Amino acid sequence: MAHVMAEGFKFRYLKTPVHGLDPRVKLLMTAMLFALALLSSNLYQEALVFAAVGVPAALARSLKRLLRIAALSLTFSLMIFAVNMLFGQPLLESAVITIRFLGIVAATSVFFVTTSPDEIEYVMRWFRLPRDFVFAFATSIRFVPVLMMDLTQIIDAQRSRGLEMDRGNPVRRIRNLIPVLIPLIVNALVRSGELAEAMEARGYGAVSRPTSMHALLMKKNDYAALLVLVPAWSLLITYFLGLL
Amino acid sequence: MSVIEFEDVRHRMPNGVVALDSVSLKVGRGEVVAVVGGNGAGKTTLLKHMNGLLKPSSGRVTVFGKETKEESIARLSRRVGLVFQNSDHQIFSESAKEEVMFGLKNFGIPPGEAEEKAGRALEYYGLADLAARPPLTLSGGEKKRLCIAAVMAWEPDVLVLDEPTVGQDYPSRSRLFGVVQGLASSNRTVVIVSHDLEFLWPLSPRTVVMSKGRVVADGPAREVFMRTEMLRDAGLREPQLLQLSRRFGREEPFTAVDQAAAWLTERGRAN
Amino acid sequence: MGKIVEFLDYTFEYSGMERPAVEGVSFSVEEGEVAVLAGASGSGKSTILRSINGLIPHMYPGRRSGKVTVDGADVSSTPTYELARKVGFLFQNPENQIFMFTVEKDVAFGLENLGYEPEVIRRKVDWALGLLGISDLAKRSPSELSDGQKQRVALAGSLVMDPKILVLDEPTSLLDPRTAQDVVSLVSRLNKDLGLTVVLVEHRLELVSPMADRMVVLSGSRVWAEGSPAEVLGREGLHEVGLSPPAIVEVQKRLPSGDGLALDVDGFVRRFLADVGHRV
Ligand SMILES: Nc1ncnc2c1ncn2[C@@H]1O[C@H](COP(=O)(O)OP(=O)(O)O)[C@@H](O)[C@H]1O
Ligand SMILES: Nc1ncnc2c1ncn2[C@@H]1O[C@H](COP(=O)(O)OP(=O)(O)O)[C@@H](O)[C@H]1O
Ligand SMILES: [Mg+2]
Ligand SMILES: [Mg+2]
Repeated sequence: MAHVMAEGFKFRYLKTPVHGLDPRVKLLMTAMLFALALLSSNLYQEALVFAAVGVPAALARSLKRLLRIAALSLTFSLMIFAVNMLFGQPLLESAVITIRFLGIVAATSVFFVTTSPDEIEYVMRWFRLPRDFVFAFATSIRFVPVLMMDLTQIIDAQRSRGLEMDRGNPVRRIRNLIPVLIPLIVNALVRSGELAEAMEARGYGAVSRPTSMHALLMKKNDYAALLVLVPAWSLLITYFLGLL
Repeated sequence: MSVIEFEDVRHRMPNGVVALDSVSLKVGRGEVVAVVGGNGAGKTTLLKHMNGLLKPSSGRVTVFGKETKEESIARLSRRVGLVFQNSDHQIFSESAKEEVMFGLKNFGIPPGEAEEKAGRALEYYGLADLAARPPLTLSGGEKKRLCIAAVMAWEPDVLVLDEPTVGQDYPSRSRLFGVVQGLASSNRTVVIVSHDLEFLWPLSPRTVVMSKGRVVADGPAREVFMRTEMLRDAGLREPQLLQLSRRFGREEPFTAVDQAAAWLTERGRAN
Repeated sequence: MGKIVEFLDYTFEYSGMERPAVEGVSFSVEEGEVAVLAGASGSGKSTILRSINGLIPHMYPGRRSGKVTVDGADVSSTPTYELARKVGFLFQNPENQIFMFTVEKDVAFGLENLGYEPEVIRRKVDWALGLLGISDLAKRSPSELSDGQKQRVALAGSLVMDPKILVLDEPTSLLDPRTAQDVVSLVSRLNKDLGLTVVLVEHRLELVSPMADRMVVLSGSRVWAEGSPAEVLGREGLHEVGLSPPAIVEVQKRLPSGDGLALDVDGFVRRFLADVGHRV
């Protein structure tokens, strides 16, 4: 189970025109889609939002992944829907609000589906976020699969000692987590201790403003993308705001 | 009668890696079997099939005559005790004694009897004085023996050890050697995974060599270890005593330092 | 040539512990040497290594006396990032010393921390990747690599800072014998080609004694023996201090004629046959 999740967390790099864009362009595009999704106020506009999200997703050959993410948030969407109905919103209103939520999820996902953690780190550096913060972000993402492997191995070890995790009443089940969580935490602490040593040994914190080997550089296709994105978005947003 | 049997087993990981391929293997009662191979050869994956943690993608694994697909991991583990490589992946109790009690409780052994069994296991593995110590404060070697004691306490019919000597210093290795030798001479069934041929050589057990998910050799250590090329391809290195035997063209290789020294002394005099 | 690492009557006790982790330790390593540090676990090997690159006392508080000098600098008064330029460190578990999402970025990490110019970093990173034969892995994610490859990436990350000394703490203990041999041979090559001084902790003495110039054995926090590997391994009482000499050394110790030890099988056989030939 755990390694399936670890797989899911792994970003997959595909060679598509969208993946190849400068991460700042992808961020801008996502922000634009986000704004559209947020401002959509009827089913017709929402259909347009999904179309707008669908184009880059399709170009990035990631429609299926996006749909899967949307499906994951469906339960939450249904809750939103139910709550709205409960508070006496008319059916149509509730549907619009729920679909708007789905649109926002889809728009945001475009960024995470097409941008590697590595590129996200670059953008963070470009925004000059504090080094410690960027580093903490990078290592925590980098160690998700490592800790997932730890978790698999711990569960395997304890099951081999007769632990049946999903047996017994709820209290017992929570107690069953102890033999798994304690080694997991201990291992994470050991790892972070070694990590701290390795950082120190490689001069972390030597200068207040560390440099970067890579600089983000806008290429031709990035400008081309902006040339399409900005006018298209301006048109849609004026329409959404009712100014057209 | 074979205790564990693999019939043409293939195991495909969720990410598509084929970790086991066409593996057929029988472990008989009272047999000591070493499974050797480089990192990533599929040894741990093989072990995890022995108590049902993993099920074959195709083929069959039977343990004491029952197919693992039809049995719970807990029931299989009662008879096949697995000790994994990293002790820190299983230690969680406040005292060494409680660590040993954990399995006994899980298998529903009555408290009085469990106490007694735990005490005996700690004693046997030289940990009696440390019974009250928090296991996280033990040395690497003590932790390793505690993990073995924690499994042997419920007296499984088969003991399966994954890379017991990795990261262990000489004193711990030699104690582990004693443990394995003791089990072997009391006719226990033991499967020991290792790439430490220096450790295995004096024991010279039946040896199964794995490489890229396949079994590439299976036979007595003295025959298998002779196939230098094959060992090297599997990521292993010949033990020095064997290397020495080969250099002098000996049919019957040296398995002990004293034996080699005596022979060389003789040979020195003869000339 | 000269002493590049020197311990003088050095004692360190981690704060909160009841007894020193190392006590009254004196030894030195000459520039360009390969020194192997051996001893049972808990004998103080890692503590010695941490004292070379300044993790002790700068990161680990504790009671300290005596002196550690590295390349002319007193470790206790030199900040760790200064020592990071002189001393490259390789730990046992490569997983815990690779931070970034691609190999080349991780190798660049140390130089970025020191504030080098991007072009300089690029050049040095390419050099280090080439040196370790992993240029083709530059864009790969560390999580896809094998254990041996990860260890090379971690090594590149230290070497890129062009250290004079390379310190390795049980770098092969998680590796299989062939991969371990590869790493050890690589370290030996770096020592020869770059003149890098190497301080190495390793349990598998058969793997490292042939390439070592010096061996220091620790027992119960103190130096038990220091000398050439042949001298040290020739002593009695190694088992008592928790060491097992290579089998070929054990064999030689039981033979009647015994001046000087060969440290590998080939060396021994050559000598044995020559000796026997003499007497014919
Ligand atoms: N949970 C997992 N997910 C994906 N691949 C795995 C997993 N566990 C092991 N593997 C792969 O299966 C192969 C065999 O691994 P393993 O059985 O651990 O080998 P060994 O124990 O001999 O080192 C390796 O290629 C490894 O990368
Ligand atoms: N971070 C630490 N805090 C407290 N004590 C430690 C720490 N690291 C090691 N020690 C203690 O110092 C002694 C020497 O340990 P170490 O240098 O790690 O030995 P080795 O590397 O030879 O196994 C041991 O008694 C150990 O418990
Ligand atoms: Mg394994
Ligand atoms: Mg250590």
